[in-house]
Amino acid sequence: MIQIAEVSKSYNRKLVLDAVSMEVNKGHIFGLLGPNGAGKTTLIRILNQILYPDGGQIYFEGKLLEPVHLRQIGYLPEERGLYKTMTVRAHLLFLAQLRGLSKTEATKNVDHWLQHFDIQGWQLKRISMLSKGMAQKVQFIAALVHQPKLLILDEPLSGFDPLNVELIMNEIKALKEQGTTIILSTHNMKSVDEVCDYAALLHNGKVLAQDAVQQLRRAHSKGLIEVRFKGNMLSFANALWTDFTLLSQKELEEGFFECTLQSRGGRKLNDLMRSLQEHVQVEHLSQIQPSMQEVFIDLISQKAAQNV
Amino acid sequence: MLVLGPVVVLLLLIGLLKAADQGKQELNVLIADPGQIMSHRLMAQEEQQIHYFFIDDYLELSEFEKGKAYQEFDVLLELNEKVLNNKKCFVFFRDQLGLDARMQLKFQVERRMEELIAAQHSNLTEQAFRQIKQGFIFDFRDLQDPKNESKEANAWAGFILGAFVLFFVALYSMTIFRATVREKSNRIVEVLLASVKPSQLMLSKILGIGFIAVLQLLGWILLLGFGFWLLQETIFLDIFDPSNWGQDAPERLNPLSALVFEQLPFASLIVHFLLFFVASFLFYGALFAVLGARSSAEADGQQFLFPLLFLVSFGLFSGIYAIYFPSSTLTEILGFLPFSSPVLVLIALAKGLGIAAYTNVLLSLIILLVCAFSLLGLGAGWYRKSILKF
Repeated sequence: MIQIAEVSKSYNRKLVLDAVSMEVNKGHIFGLLGPNGAGKTTLIRILNQILYPDGGQIYFEGKLLEPVHLRQIGYLPEERGLYKTMTVRAHLLFLAQLRGLSKTEATKNVDHWLQHFDIQGWQLKRISMLSKGMAQKVQFIAALVHQPKLLILDEPLSGFDPLNVELIMNEIKALKEQGTTIILSTHNMKSVDEVCDYAALLHNGKVLAQDAVQQLRRAHSKGLIEVRFKGNMLSFANALWTDFTLLSQKELEEGFFECTLQSRGGRKLNDLMRSLQEHVQVEHLSQIQPSMQEVFIDLISQKAAQNV
Repeated sequence: MLVLGPVVVLLLLIGLLKAADQGKQELNVLIADPGQIMSHRLMAQEEQQIHYFFIDDYLELSEFEKGKAYQEFDVLLELNEKVLNNKKCFVFFRDQLGLDARMQLKFQVERRMEELIAAQHSNLTEQAFRQIKQGFIFDFRDLQDPKNESKEANAWAGFILGAFVLFFVALYSMTIFRATVREKSNRIVEVLLASVKPSQLMLSKILGIGFIAVLQLLGWILLLGFGFWLLQETIFLDIFDPSNWGQDAPERLNPLSALVFEQLPFASLIVHFLLFFVASFLFYGALFAVLGARSSAEADGQQFLFPLLFLVSFGLFSGIYAIYFPSSTLTEILGFLPFSSPVLVLIALAKGLGIAAYTNVLLSLIILLVCAFSLLGLGAGWYRKSILKF
């Protein structure tokens, strides 16, 4: 859906984006990750045509990105902002019409989303009277009121309580089910684990890694395995031999243990199963994938070590 | 503000017009002259505003104040029998006398006293004395305007209108500045810029606020026009009733009323007021929008407001210069500068322009519009670069 080809951007001779290329497939949730100052917001602003790149191109559905495409893009910026003296309804109608909807369409969509988020009772309240969470819900609605094909969310979960985080996450998943392509820029790695199909990691304006989330996690796997078994701990330890290192153990109940192992020499799960099956009754065996947070830290640390 | 503004202006106008009338109030003065010094006579007056009556006896103040026979008199002038020596007299008034009335009363009584003293100490006849005391008429005239057609009062009226243009431009331009800063500080600007171009955002703000400004001004013009008509038909009706004129034309009865209601070409002034307001607003609106875009908070931008407001004030100072030096080269140049042309054009129109001179007005307007559109174009670029910088 979106192809970013060799996009560069500088501010006062400081290179903020350095020949960044990435591809966002239609109907997927794409995580845009990176530490502060990596260039995520600049890239997002370029996608929204708030800024223009110094070099490179961006394609939207195969065509060069143009202002007319803005009507198909929804944007929730990291820095929230609403007109404090407008009512909720008036504000949403205003932003919907700004995105190209007619008044009738805007009214219909606003009514739908207010009902969907169960805030019809607040529609005639001024924005200044809303709590922070409520105001952010309004902004979230404003980003998708015109039913965009592409939704760009910059830190959509910040400022929400856990209940509303859950609500927004479910909403993101529902939008994906309906075919909306979503670019999610966030520091909340749990949400990346939970919803993102693909992810790209930016650092100092360059793409450090870009792949499917599962691939990224697998690529940074440290060979950790979780085992739950019934039996004798000593027999278990003996069965491991030198192929696996026992990192931790916990007795869940009498004779029932949970252990974490580190694979050595490239040993796989099948190898472990073969080693254990005659000695203990294996109840659960799985590879522990690193979280995206661990992948993120790992990649940044590697990069920092390279620079040194 | 739409209604309150014109009401305040009309009340001020009534006050000014009444003040202009004060010196012309008619007075009936009763002179108590027990010594019959004045022989029931005063100098002949050009203006019959003060009417003198004589009694040959002292009069008690309470009698004068409350006596029915004396209610028609506004002032009691007491002359003691030795007034020619002590030169002191008392003047008792019912209502406060205007400065003009006091001066006239003093002048006329003093002149009669001088006649009497001169007669005591010389052989001069009254007629000879009056001829000696008749003042010379010094008619001061501008070399540039020997026929005295400058119409200075009209020029000041035009200046006030020009000042209003600049005042409203500054007022509404400040609104643009504050609205831009507010959008930037509450970060709504990023959402807006994802839908519209920065130049569109800036222009929409200028045009939107400008439209409101023009609507408000039209409201003011209509209300003031109605108010002026009402004043002319009610409070100041007497001035414009020919049966009251006698030998005086309205401008001699109340020059300010005559200026406002008779002399100023209001239709032309209003049209040009609006044209130059719109053009100046576009000109200054771009500058104030850019200033707002460069500021993260109102306080940040305040320090840069002073130069802009100074530019606005420059127009006022130029207007004052143009009134005192109407034919100077500098005045001619100032008439084409965007900062000062609104004031100078309105001054020229208030004084009355021939067709040949009107081409200069058109040229001033064209220059102002060209500068305004150029600044809008440049301003859009500066606005775009500044609006997202915090």
